Amino acid sequence: MSGVLTVARLELTVRVRAGRWRWLLAAWFVILVGFTTLLRLAVSHAHNLQGNVGTVMYGGLQLFLLALALLVMPALTAQSVNGDRERGTLGVLQVTRLSAFDIAGGKLLAAWGTACIFLLASAPLVAWSMVEKGVPAIRVVIVTLVVALLLGVICAISLGLSALLARGTTSSVLSYLSVFALTLGTLIVFGLATAATTQTRVVHFSTGDPSAPAGCCSSEETVARTDLTWWILAPNPFVVLADAAPVVVERPPICRSFRTRGSIRTFCTPQPQSGVDPLGDISRSVRSLRSPPGLQSNIARSGGGEDLVWPYGLGFDVLLGGFMFGVATRRLRTPRRTLPRGVRLA
Amino acid sequence: MNPVAEEVFMTSPGSADGVVAIGVKRQFDSVFALRGVDFTARYGEVTGLVGPNGAGKTTLLLILATLLLPDEGTVRIAGHDPVTETGAVRAMSGWVPDAFGVYDNLTTREYLRFAGLAYGLGKRSPARAEELLVLSRLQDFADRPVHVLSRGQKQRLGFVRSLVHGPRVLLLDEPAAGLDPYSRVELRDLLRQLASVGAAVVVSSHVLADLEQMADRVVFVDRGVTVGERRIDDLARASGPRVWRLRALNESELVAALDRNHYPHTAPTPGGVDVELLSDEAAAGLIAGLVRDGVHVVSCAPLTTSLEATYLALTGDQG
Ligand SMILES: Nc1ncnc2c1ncn2[C@@H]1O[C@H](COP(=O)(O)OP(=O)(O)OP(=O)(O)O)[C@@H](O)[C@H]1O
Ligand SMILES: [Mg+2]
Repeated sequence: MSGVLTVARLELTVRVRAGRWRWLLAAWFVILVGFTTLLRLAVSHAHNLQGNVGTVMYGGLQLFLLALALLVMPALTAQSVNGDRERGTLGVLQVTRLSAFDIAGGKLLAAWGTACIFLLASAPLVAWSMVEKGVPAIRVVIVTLVVALLLGVICAISLGLSALLARGTTSSVLSYLSVFALTLGTLIVFGLATAATTQTRVVHFSTGDPSAPAGCCSSEETVARTDLTWWILAPNPFVVLADAAPVVVERPPICRSFRTRGSIRTFCTPQPQSGVDPLGDISRSVRSLRSPPGLQSNIARSGGGEDLVWPYGLGFDVLLGGFMFGVATRRLRTPRRTLPRGVRLA
Repeated sequence: MNPVAEEVFMTSPGSADGVVAIGVKRQFDSVFALRGVDFTARYGEVTGLVGPNGAGKTTLLLILATLLLPDEGTVRIAGHDPVTETGAVRAMSGWVPDAFGVYDNLTTREYLRFAGLAYGLGKRSPARAEELLVLSRLQDFADRPVHVLSRGQKQRLGFVRSLVHGPRVLLLDEPAAGLDPYSRVELRDLLRQLASVGAAVVVSSHVLADLEQMADRVVFVDRGVTVGERRIDDLARASGPRVWRLRALNESELVAALDRNHYPHTAPTPGGVDVELLSDEAAAGLIAGLVRDGVHVVSCAPLTTSLEATYLALTGDQG
């Protein structure tokens, strides 16, 4: 473990002193402040929010932050192994007592730590949205943890690619492509797969007219079998983020009382908060994808535990990150039998 | 004697050979980089590794330094197998690559401290870094970023970095490249010093004059095979046809005397006149004759060193 820390400290020292890193962080903060301020101004005149400005601000901020982070992270790690090799510093590191795991782990830790510093820079804005009400602390804690984990996954993927490929430019391009695959790619494949699995079925109905012949009245309808394809969307970082966010309950559920055979029974349904909570909206729509056709109108089950999507998505993402980290470790192991084509160790 | 170097090698070697490589082969795709190299380096000696470009010197050093796996052959570094006992070999050996890569934004002192940590020195690494700064005469640059150092300074830094854990086997790939004459002499003295306290030092180099002065033994490789090895003191005694360069106070006097005695010679140049002679005895005879003839001979020295002649003879038939 001390080897990992040694390498991480080296990487961070080198990185922190590089001026461009500070500029990137400054630009990052300015962009987030600008976005949050604009968002605040945009929602200030909306009437349906009823004091939940914070929910919108926080949700919007987190989605924007994730998008921005997905753009920045590959740049931080995508050349960390092959760049070192091109600069001639890798071999010198590998002949020391540091193991391949130390080197890969240190590089990942440094990159992830940097990512977390970027995340930390958004703290004032998160605090602002909390002041505006409608953001429970538990939501902030869980969303922050999930975003941190997702950024770690992106770092691990980039690290693995930089160890796998000889050229820094190739691994950078592939890192961005894998981010693209996880975000837009899952969306595109989900759309196409859903269209491809759409079924047509015949629905029979009775008209109530006794003179009509049996089975006279039927119509055809197409049903999207999203219950078969929802998992394609699951690894999408935005889906994971939104679905993992705990539900905000800020309005009391609508309750109706019925008098049945002398006793009074009360049925309550949580109020849907469409348009108020961006994270909740995404979460509800992806969870509803899991229900078989016919049950999709059952919006009321918004907190239904069995329809969770994020554990699958996050699980997949973390496994992918772990796999790519394993690839990096394997690739850093010496003595080497095979070398990537055109690579010299010294 | 340098106090830093002295404390490095306390233990006495168990075997006489710090490096043993027998029948080492290594292929890259379709290129046979090593086709059967035999190489040994003894403790207490500087062993030179010479050969033309592409002969496989760097590849051999990479195998010895535990970075590359040999396809075939046996290798022992300080008695350990780099393939199965990688950790032990790394604890015992230091490697200096031919190209010294640097980290941006790291000072010389931090770089050496980091090297200490990487070799598991822990709390002792700051003190060790100071010792190495003295050894490399880079104290004045201790707080400067490594990447602003000149090539020669980087070379020196890379060299002392490899000493951080007190290795008993030292592998250097063209350490003299890019060094000024003064640093070259200094490097030579340092390597001799390390050998004298018991290290096995392996130096690959193209500068044969340097090797002639610092190596005890030289191994020649060509196209991936060991083609010979010589002890430097044997080379000095051996003789054969060589070109000698003569200089006299009066050039025309010298040329006339050579012509008179039927010595074939080159046209005079500012450097002097070149004559091919068969042995040291022939050279002595020529000088005596010239002096007798009243020619004021200033110098008479072999143009190529004996190491160079051997090198050319062993690796010559390149076509
Ligand atoms: N990673 C690699 N992939 C393919 N070929 C390689 C690789 N490394 C070395 N070679 C080839 O192996 C041969 C030996 O190369 P090596 O670098 O060991 O030579 P060298 O003796 O160090 O030469 P120089 O004196 O120029 O440094 C060369 O033909 C080289 O092209
Ligand atoms: Mg070489």
